Amino acid sequence: MNLKLPWHSKSAEPYTLRDLPRRVLLSEYFVLYLTIVYVILLLPFIPWLLNPMNIKNILSNAWPLLALAMGQTFVLIVIGVPDLSQTSIMALTSVVGAVVMSNYFDPVLFSKSPLWGSLIAENGGIFAGTSLATLGGVVVMLSVGLLIGLFNGISVALFKMPPFMVTLVGWNLWAAIATFLPKSENIRHLPEGFVAIGSGNIGPISIAMLVALLLAVSGHFVLSKTLFGKRVYATGLNPKAAKVCGIPTKRIIIAVYMVSGLCAAVGSILYSARLEMGRPTMGSTLLLDIIGANIIAGISLYGGKGKVSWTFFGVFFFIILANSLNHLNLPFYMIDIVKGSIICLAAVLDVVRTRASERRVYT
Amino acid sequence: MKSNRVLRMVLDNTTFVIFVLLFIVFGLLAPRFFSVKNFENIISSASYIGILAVGVTFVLLTGGIDISLGSNMYLSAVVFGLLLNNAELPFVISLIGCLATGLLVGSINAFIVTKLKVVPFITTLVTMTVAFGFGILLTKSTAVNFPDSITLMSTHKVLGFIPLHIFIFVCVVLVASVYLGYTKPGRQLYAVGNNEESAKKAGIKTVPLIAHAYMISGVCAALGGFVSITQIGRVNANFGEGIEFQAIAAAILGGASLFGGIGTVFPGTVLGTIMVQMIQAGLIFIDVDIYLQPIVQALIIFGAVLIDSFRITQLKKLERRHIMKV
Amino acid sequence: MGDKILEFVDITRSFFGVKALEKINLQLKEGEIFGLIGENGAGKSTLMNILGGILPQDEGCMLLDTQEYKPGGPSDASAAGIEFIHQELNLFMNLTVAENIYIHNFPTMQGTPIIRKREIIKRAKDLLESLGMEIQPTALLETLAPGERQMVEIAKALSMDARIYIFDEPTTSLTAKETTGLFNILKRLRNEGKTIIYISHILGDVEDLADSVAVLRDGKVMGSGPIQDFSIDKMISLMVGGSFKQIFPEKKSIPQKEKLLEIQELSQSGTVKDINFSLHKGEILGVFGLMGAGRTEMARMVFGVDPYSDGEVYIEGEKLPKSNPMASIEKGLAFVTEDRREEGLLMDVPIVDNLGMVALPDFCRNYTKIVNGKQLNEEAEHVSERLHLKATNLDVMPAKSLSGGNQQKVVIGKWLLKTPRVLIMDEPTRGIDVGAKYEVFNIINDLADKGAGILMISSEVEELIGVCDRIVVMSRGEIMDVFEKEKFTQEAIMRSAFRQGMIATATEGDEDEIK
Repeated sequence: MNLKLPWHSKSAEPYTLRDLPRRVLLSEYFVLYLTIVYVILLLPFIPWLLNPMNIKNILSNAWPLLALAMGQTFVLIVIGVPDLSQTSIMALTSVVGAVVMSNYFDPVLFSKSPLWGSLIAENGGIFAGTSLATLGGVVVMLSVGLLIGLFNGISVALFKMPPFMVTLVGWNLWAAIATFLPKSENIRHLPEGFVAIGSGNIGPISIAMLVALLLAVSGHFVLSKTLFGKRVYATGLNPKAAKVCGIPTKRIIIAVYMVSGLCAAVGSILYSARLEMGRPTMGSTLLLDIIGANIIAGISLYGGKGKVSWTFFGVFFFIILANSLNHLNLPFYMIDIVKGSIICLAAVLDVVRTRASERRVYT
Repeated sequence: MKSNRVLRMVLDNTTFVIFVLLFIVFGLLAPRFFSVKNFENIISSASYIGILAVGVTFVLLTGGIDISLGSNMYLSAVVFGLLLNNAELPFVISLIGCLATGLLVGSINAFIVTKLKVVPFITTLVTMTVAFGFGILLTKSTAVNFPDSITLMSTHKVLGFIPLHIFIFVCVVLVASVYLGYTKPGRQLYAVGNNEESAKKAGIKTVPLIAHAYMISGVCAALGGFVSITQIGRVNANFGEGIEFQAIAAAILGGASLFGGIGTVFPGTVLGTIMVQMIQAGLIFIDVDIYLQPIVQALIIFGAVLIDSFRITQLKKLERRHIMKV
Repeated sequence: MGDKILEFVDITRSFFGVKALEKINLQLKEGEIFGLIGENGAGKSTLMNILGGILPQDEGCMLLDTQEYKPGGPSDASAAGIEFIHQELNLFMNLTVAENIYIHNFPTMQGTPIIRKREIIKRAKDLLESLGMEIQPTALLETLAPGERQMVEIAKALSMDARIYIFDEPTTSLTAKETTGLFNILKRLRNEGKTIIYISHILGDVEDLADSVAVLRDGKVMGSGPIQDFSIDKMISLMVGGSFKQIFPEKKSIPQKEKLLEIQELSQSGTVKDINFSLHKGEILGVFGLMGAGRTEMARMVFGVDPYSDGEVYIEGEKLPKSNPMASIEKGLAFVTEDRREEGLLMDVPIVDNLGMVALPDFCRNYTKIVNGKQLNEEAEHVSERLHLKATNLDVMPAKSLSGGNQQKVVIGKWLLKTPRVLIMDEPTRGIDVGAKYEVFNIINDLADKGAGILMISSEVEELIGVCDRIVVMSRGEIMDVFEKEKFTQEAIMRSAFRQGMIATATEGDEDEIK
C-alpha cells in the first residue's frame, strides 16, 4: 500500500505547518486518518472497542458491506449518482437463491406463494437435496444480480433515463417482487454448503472474509490495472473526451451497473448464509451505510474519482462508527441522525474539494 | 411526416393518454369501478398525497428532487401532536407549529442545495434520515394519538357538502396553479428549470427561486400530514413511509419532468394523483394480489419516466444549432 | 444622423498577455447604423463585451453623451440604455413568446406578484406587429422555427427601448423575408434616433444597411468612416494582411496522388450540405471559414462523433461507418478537437494517462487486458520527446499543470501513439504561443512527410497559407472554393469565406476573378 502521507506530496508548492489541516482534509487517505483519530478519541470511553469479540463482530458486519460498497464505487466513479437499487437486489437475490436451494417449504406458510407447485414445493426448491444445490443457488443469485444490473445500465445508457430515478424505481420494484414471491415469509432450511459460507472458517480466516476480500482485491485490481478500469475513470471524468477517444461509453455504463448488481448479489450471499435464510426485507437499512461509506471515503459525487482502497477504509469507518455508537447506548434513530449528518458533511467536503481542485488550473 | 405529428401529440399529452387508457382498462375489467361513491373515495384518499405531490412539483420544476417528504410529514405530525397533547396549546398554534416544522425541514433542504451546493438527492436523503430520527427521538418510538376533535374534522363539510380534506386539497391546487401560472416568481421558476444559466443572464435571481421550491415542498409535506391525521387519528413510526415515492409518481404521471422546467399543478399533478389512487383502488377492485400493487405501480412509473426521457431527447435534437442559409 | 452619442477612447484589452484590442478609437452618432466588421479574432466581440459591461477594459475609457461610461456589469449597461442582442439565444423553450419577452420585468398587478397577462400579450402583440413579425405572442417558444426564435430574441431587446442596440450576427437563422423585415425595423429605429451597432459577416448587408463602418484587424481599427467610402473589396483588403510574426517551417515533401480520405455529398439538414473533397497522402489540407461556417460540425461528422443524414466517407477506398468513433480510430483516423479542456484532456489526470487515452488497448496484454504500465511510460516518453513536451514526472503531474502549448502537444501526442493515417485537427494552434505553434507545424510537416494526410481547420488565413498544400473554404455549411497552393492569396481566400453573403451583389466580372 503506497501511503501518501501529507508530507510526502510531490507537489511543487512549499509545505508549511499551516497547510497541514488542508492537506489532511484533501488527502486520499482522509478517512483512514479519521478512523484512527476517532478510535483513539473514543477508546477511553469505550475500552471494549478493541476487545477481540467486538472486533470479530465488527469484521463480520464489514464483509458484506464491503462487497456492496465496492459495487457502488464503480457506479459512483462513472455516474456520480448512487445505485439505489442495490439493497433491493440484495433482497431479491436472497429470496430467489433460497427459493431454488431450500430443502423444505412449510405448506402453511408458503402455499399462497405464486411459486407454489411450480418452483417450490414441500420438499424444497428445484435444486433441493442435490449436491449442486449451493452452487446452483449461488449461480442463480449472481445471475439475477447481473441481470438487474444490465437492466439498470440499459435504462441509463441507451434510454437516457435519469440514473437516480431508474435506481429509485428499482429500489421499490425489486423489493416488492422479493416480498411478493414468498409472501413476506423468510425462507429457511438452506443447504449446509451454503450456510458454511456465512459461518465457516478456513483456519483463522472466515469464508466470508475471504470472499469479500477476494472481491475487493479483484475490484481494486480491475480498476487500477486493466483497460476497463482506465476507461471507467475516463468515462466518469469526461464522457465527451472519452467518446472522442474511442471509448465505448455506453458499454462502460452498462458494465458498471452490472458490477454493482453482482456485488449486491455477493453481499446477499454473505448475509443470507450468515442468517441462514432467504429474507425479503434484507438490506433495507443498509443503503445509508453503503452510500455513506463511499462518500466519506472520498468517492466523489461528481464522478471520475475514487479507489476501492478508499472504500475499504470508508466501510470500516462506518462499521466502527455504528459499533461504537451502539456501545454508547445510543438508540438506533440517534445513530441514523449521526450517520446522516456525517454523510452531509462528507458531501460538503466533496463539494469543497472539487472546487479547490478546479481553481488550481494553470492555463 | 404524419407519424411524427401523432408521436408529438402523444408525447405532449401523455398524461391524458394514460388516464384514458386506465379508464378503459379498469372499465373493461370491472365496470362496477365506475361508481360515484368509488370516485369520492378515491379523491378522498388522494387528497393528502395530492398536497404532497403539488409540493414536490415545485421541486421537480427546478430540476431537483425531494425524497424527504415522508420523514418531514412524520416529524411535522409528531410536533403537531406534542404541541396539541403535551403542551396543550390551542389547535391553531399547534397547527402553525406543524407547518413551521415542515417549513424548517424544507429550508434546511433549500440551504444545503443552494448554498452548500450538495446535489438534491443526497441532501434530501440526509434530511430524510435526520428528520425521521428526530421524530422517533421526540416520540421515543411510541405512537401519537390525536383527540376526537381532530378526527372529527375529517367529517366536517365545508359549505355543507365538500369534505374538509378535499377542500384543503382544492385550495392548495388553486393557490399553486395561480402561483405557477400567473405570477412573476412562478413563471421565472419555469425559466430557471429550463435553463439556469440563461435565467441568470436574464437577471433572474435563481437562488431564492430554487430555495423557495424546497420550502414549499416542506410545508406541503406538513400540511398533507395534517390532512392524513384528520383521517386516521394516530401517528406511528410508519406514518408517511414511502409516501415520497407516491408523490413523485403522481407528479411524473401528471407530466412533470425530472429534467426540470416542465409540469403543471392543474391539470397535471392533480390528474397524476388521481391516477395513482385509481390504480391502487382499481387493482384492489379487480382482486389483484395486494403484493402485486407496488410492482404494478413501480412499472407504471418506470414507463412514465421512460416516456419523459424520450421526450427530452427529442426536444434536445430540435434545439441543435442551425447554420445553413434558410 | 445627430450628435455624437458614444465614443471609445484608446480602449485596450489583453488576455493572458495577448492584446485583443489595441487603442481602439471610434465615434458613433445618434440615429445611425454603425457596421462593425472584421474576421475571426479581430476583436469585435471583445469590444462589444466591454461596451455591454461583460468585461472591463485594461486601458482607455468610454464616453456616453460625453460622460464617462463604466459599466460594472450587464445590468449597468442595460440601465444606461445599451442592449446587446447576442448570437446565442437566451430564451426559454417552455415559456410563451410574451413571457420570454418580459421574463425579467413582468408588469404586475398593484401590490401582488400576479402578472398582467392580458397586458403582456397585448404589448407583445403590438411589439411584434410593429416589427412586422407574424408570431403569436401566446405561442410556446419550442414550437417556433429557429428564425422566429431569433426574431423573438430581437423583439425582447427592442422592448427595452434602449438608445444603443448591438446586433451580433442577427441574420444567421433568418429567412430572406425575415431578414428584410429586420432591416426595415433597423432603418426605422435609426430614423427614430436610435444607434445600432451591426456586426455581420455578410458584407453585402452591411453595405446596404450601414451609415458608417469600422473595420477591425488584430485588435486595431484599420479604417472607419461613412459607408460610401468603403467598397466590399476595400473592406476585405483592410481585413487581411495583419502584422504577422509567425515563421513557418519548410515542408519537404509534396502531396502524393493517392487519395486517402474521400468525402462525398456529406449532408446534415440545417448544418452542412453537399460536402465534397478529398485528402491525399502526404497532403496538408486546410479548412478556412468564418466562425459558424460549419467546419467543426463537418469534421465531427467525418470522424463520427456526430451523425449525418446523407453522404459517404471513404478511407483509402473503404467506406467508413458513420457515428462510430471506435471504427474511425481503427481505420486510422484521429481527431484533435477544438476545445482541449472540454473534449481533449482529462485535466486532473497524469500526463501519461492522457497520452495513453486512445492507444491504450495496444498497451494491454492480449487476454487479460492488463495495462502494461512500463511500455506505456516508455512510449509516452518517446512521443513526449518527439513533441518537445516540456514536462517532468509524466506519471504524476496532471495535465492541468501544463501550459496551453504543452497541453495541446499532449492532445496531439495521444493520437500520435496510434500512428494515424488521417489526422483531423480543429484549431490546433488556438491559445498557444508562437514557439509552440512552430513546433506544432513541424509535427504536422513530419507526419505529412511520412505519408499521413492532415485536415487542418483554422481561423487564421496566414497560418493556413504558411502550412497547407491546399485550402478549402467553407461558408454557411457549404464548400465555397478550393484553392491550390499557387493561388494562395489572403484576399482571395477571405473573399471566398465572406462570399455567401455576397452572391446577391456579385457581378459576372467578380465571379470570374474569384474562380
